[in-house]
Amino acid sequence: MSKYTATIGIEIHVELKTNSKVFSPSKNDYNSTANTNICEIDLGYPGVLPTLNKGVIMSALKACLGLNCNINKKMHFDRKNYFYPDLPKGYQITQARTPIGCDGYVLVDNKKIRIERIHIEEDTAKSLHANNKTYLNYNRAGVPLIEIVSCPDMHTKEEAMKYLERIRETLFYLGVSDCKIEEGSMRADVNVSISDNDTLGTRTEIKNIGSISNVGIAIDYEIKRQEQIIESGGIIEEETRKFDSATNTTVLMRKKETGNDYRYFPEPDIPYLEIFDDMISSVKESIVLLPDERRKIYLERNILPINVEKLINNKDLSDYLNNFIETDINFKIASNLLLTDILSYLNKNRLSIFDTKLSINKFNELVTLLSDGIITNKIFKDIMIDILESDSSVKDILKEKNISLETDTASLEEIIKKVLLDNEKSVNDYKAGKENALKFLMGMVMKEVKGSFNPKLVNETLIKMCKKM
Amino acid sequence: MNKLTKEEVLHVANLARLDLSEEEIEKFSYQLKEILDSINKINDVQISTDELFIAPWTNNTTLREDNYKEYTMKEDILNNSSYRFDNFIEVGGVFDE
Amino acid sequence: MSKYIDMPISEINKLLKNKTIKPIDLVNECFSRIEKSDLNAFITLDKENAIKKAKELENLPVDNLLFGIPIALKDNIVTKNLKTTCASKMLEDFVPIYDSYVKELIDKNNMIVIGKTNMDEFAMGSSNQTSFFGPVKNPWNKSLVSGGSSGGSAACVSAHLVPFALGSDTGGSIRQPSAFCGTVGMKPTYGRVSRYGLIAFASSMDQIGPITKNVYENAVLLDAISGKDERDLTNIDKDKNFTSLIGSPVKGMKLAIPSFYISDVIDKEILNKFNEIKYMLIDMGIEIDIVDMKYLENAVSLYQIIALGEASSNLARFDGIKYGYSYKKAKNLEELYKKTRSLGFGDEVKRRIMVGSFLLSGKNKNEYYDKALMLRNAFNIEFDKVFKDYDLIIGPTTTTLPYEIGSSLNDPNKGFLDDILTNPVNMVGLPALSMPIGFSSNHLPIGMQIIGKKFDEKTIYKLASFIEEKLNLDLGGAYNE
Repeated sequence: MSKYTATIGIEIHVELKTNSKVFSPSKNDYNSTANTNICEIDLGYPGVLPTLNKGVIMSALKACLGLNCNINKKMHFDRKNYFYPDLPKGYQITQARTPIGCDGYVLVDNKKIRIERIHIEEDTAKSLHANNKTYLNYNRAGVPLIEIVSCPDMHTKEEAMKYLERIRETLFYLGVSDCKIEEGSMRADVNVSISDNDTLGTRTEIKNIGSISNVGIAIDYEIKRQEQIIESGGIIEEETRKFDSATNTTVLMRKKETGNDYRYFPEPDIPYLEIFDDMISSVKESIVLLPDERRKIYLERNILPINVEKLINNKDLSDYLNNFIETDINFKIASNLLLTDILSYLNKNRLSIFDTKLSINKFNELVTLLSDGIITNKIFKDIMIDILESDSSVKDILKEKNISLETDTASLEEIIKKVLLDNEKSVNDYKAGKENALKFLMGMVMKEVKGSFNPKLVNETLIKMCKKM
Repeated sequence: MNKLTKEEVLHVANLARLDLSEEEIEKFSYQLKEILDSINKINDVQISTDELFIAPWTNNTTLREDNYKEYTMKEDILNNSSYRFDNFIEVGGVFDE
Repeated sequence: MSKYIDMPISEINKLLKNKTIKPIDLVNECFSRIEKSDLNAFITLDKENAIKKAKELENLPVDNLLFGIPIALKDNIVTKNLKTTCASKMLEDFVPIYDSYVKELIDKNNMIVIGKTNMDEFAMGSSNQTSFFGPVKNPWNKSLVSGGSSGGSAACVSAHLVPFALGSDTGGSIRQPSAFCGTVGMKPTYGRVSRYGLIAFASSMDQIGPITKNVYENAVLLDAISGKDERDLTNIDKDKNFTSLIGSPVKGMKLAIPSFYISDVIDKEILNKFNEIKYMLIDMGIEIDIVDMKYLENAVSLYQIIALGEASSNLARFDGIKYGYSYKKAKNLEELYKKTRSLGFGDEVKRRIMVGSFLLSGKNKNEYYDKALMLRNAFNIEFDKVFKDYDLIIGPTTTTLPYEIGSSLNDPNKGFLDDILTNPVNMVGLPALSMPIGFSSNHLPIGMQIIGKKFDEKTIYKLASFIEEKLNLDLGGAYNE
């Protein structure tokens, strides 16, 4: 056990999934051909002015509410001034003084990790580096971002990774972002310091780590690096480092510049924006059940913990299952159904559950048949493709397949009794050990019941009655 | 002092990304001081409000509906740059980010 | 030689309607006058397209008062496919790829753009001497400055080279050259005219406005260039009817003169002329009081902080990468930035963006900028107080008469002190107009300023039109052929 305690804070940039950019009507899609989704505003041409995308405000509000933030009812934007080739105007429009949300939190193992602030800003152009040159693609310039700044409330890499995972899944559930860390639509900068007393140590910032597991590796490395420096009598310098995934280490990018002077001031082109309560409540109403709420419901309804996490990781299936929250269907059976054969079918065919013919009524019917023991899992497997691909109800499918749903054993016994009496010889043959005789009798019974009984049930009842004869 | 120091002039020149000759530094060291002296008079003003007046505009900001436009400005925009390369604008390498 | 441009536009309109003349006659007259003129009022002329447009208009009905009227635009107003330089080497060869909203409205009204007028570089200056293309001469005395920064626009209207021009006003840049050149210039309410396509100097104060020979035409032109533009969040369409009060009785109006506007820093001849007007108005039954307004003496410092802070940010986009001048021999990015900006900007611009950067940097931001924004609020409250009791505020437009070209070049504060009477309204967004009220002993025009309530330009036009009619000045002296 190390004598040092690590303190970790995380800044996350998340690209919002809107149709248009935050301050211009250009398309928000930077995967198109380079420099196609651009207009004079994105390039900061002389004379242009920003407009403010309603979709961005709504998404940011959603994120703030989903992460338990207070909403700033009256806000403005600020200019962050610095020169860089990916910053066309020479300033970034952001929110320094009045972030749209503040004082939020997420729960990690029942511990609150506080969110200091969430603010809206614009992304920069994308730079491609090759042959000692930088190539600018302005498709990304002006793509809406929210920046989520945590308090330095985390102390282990596990907490940090879980925090990121909670943020990721919440924003994904809110539908405001793809949250693809690997593709850059969610980017994390991690601040790490260590200390062996109550005073926080000097922190270093690790930039743009490409996956949640790498966040863990980077934190581990950085803690050890700082420990070694302190143990050998050195001091930690405030600096920005970069994670190198090839070596699993962090490397120095730059010392904290003394001249890092962003000259923030209020953006005069976008005067005050007031958020009214009706806007907040309409956003609130549009928020779906979030992962933690779903976890609670699923556990209460006896879904196995491992399946709960599987459902949370598959939002479509979870959304589908949530159609039945108000019903009393068996969630354990329902989740088993969804997460086994149906999920492999969906994966194999690259489909969403919503692309199949499994209507809500049909699923309800299916789960009820299974939980009442009317059909077996084996039968379900036999007819699953029909269930998912045809419009027919489960009962109709069973009928088409000559699978009985009758459970009226009295009438079944009546029929069997008649067949047995008519075929005494075969009964005796069976009793003498001739298995073929049973097959004959079975065929006769099935002919009589016209497939309206479950064959398994018929077989069991037939054997029982033969033996009694 | 009726002029700024050379370091002060170079600092503000760097903030504004300007490259000044020795004569310019000398000239601006006086001129900038004159303007700053004029500006400093604001320190003597007593005011009884702490609200920031960002712009003479009191209406709430109107929001644009989230619909995108297809633009066809790529060629014009790239051609306006002295550094077009294929579909990109090319500048000297920056690697620290 | 035809003299249509000297006529009121209502006359021109009649001639166009009854087909006595065609738009091309107006265009030809403009160019023949411009070609003879040596005022240096234009940076770019667009003869080819002006003629083309005039020809196109021949087949269209004359459906509005501005139809076929030539107009000149200040060269910080963006015009698609027509060079827009801001009078800077930085944009010497810059051809915009979109139109400003006012240009769209000018096209919609079938006016004809003649060319782009000279100005102070990036609208920074008050004498048109900071232009990369040289100073504009004052039509009333060519050794004197035209005023600025819309010097070219005021001079070309004053000299009857074109009937109309647009300028822009951040601290007095329409009104001050209008006073120096004897034209009517309106700085509309902040938000009245879309700023989309106006190359920004100080975004929270910039406003485009009309410069004309008389008050009525000014109101008509303002009507044409104002309207709702979704691309400017600080733009609104309301309470227009600019000509609606022209000619209605002025008796009983209440005007305020802030004591600051008649202080002894103001030239005696200007004060005397202004006082003559004051007594004339009192004689007509208008109530006029001298009022004390707090903070006016701080206007220059306040203006410098806000304007230069915003300017330093607005001009950061000129980095040589995307458009405009670029230093091609740079060995690295830093050198590209610094050489491009040092060679592309003139001294006035450099001074102003250095001061602006300084004001926003580090702890200066709280000390200067935040304090300025609070003082700006206090300023606004002061104006509100006056407008509770008065319809309009009046005063001289300038503290001096036009001065010699070359006389103020080494005074870095001169450009700001010239605006001492005009810049207060920019900080709070009020509309203000400058109009000629007479001449000095050496026959230079003297301007008076009328400041109104927000979105109440029509009351300004009412008083201005009344004064204009009463004085009936001969303003034709500047264009003797």
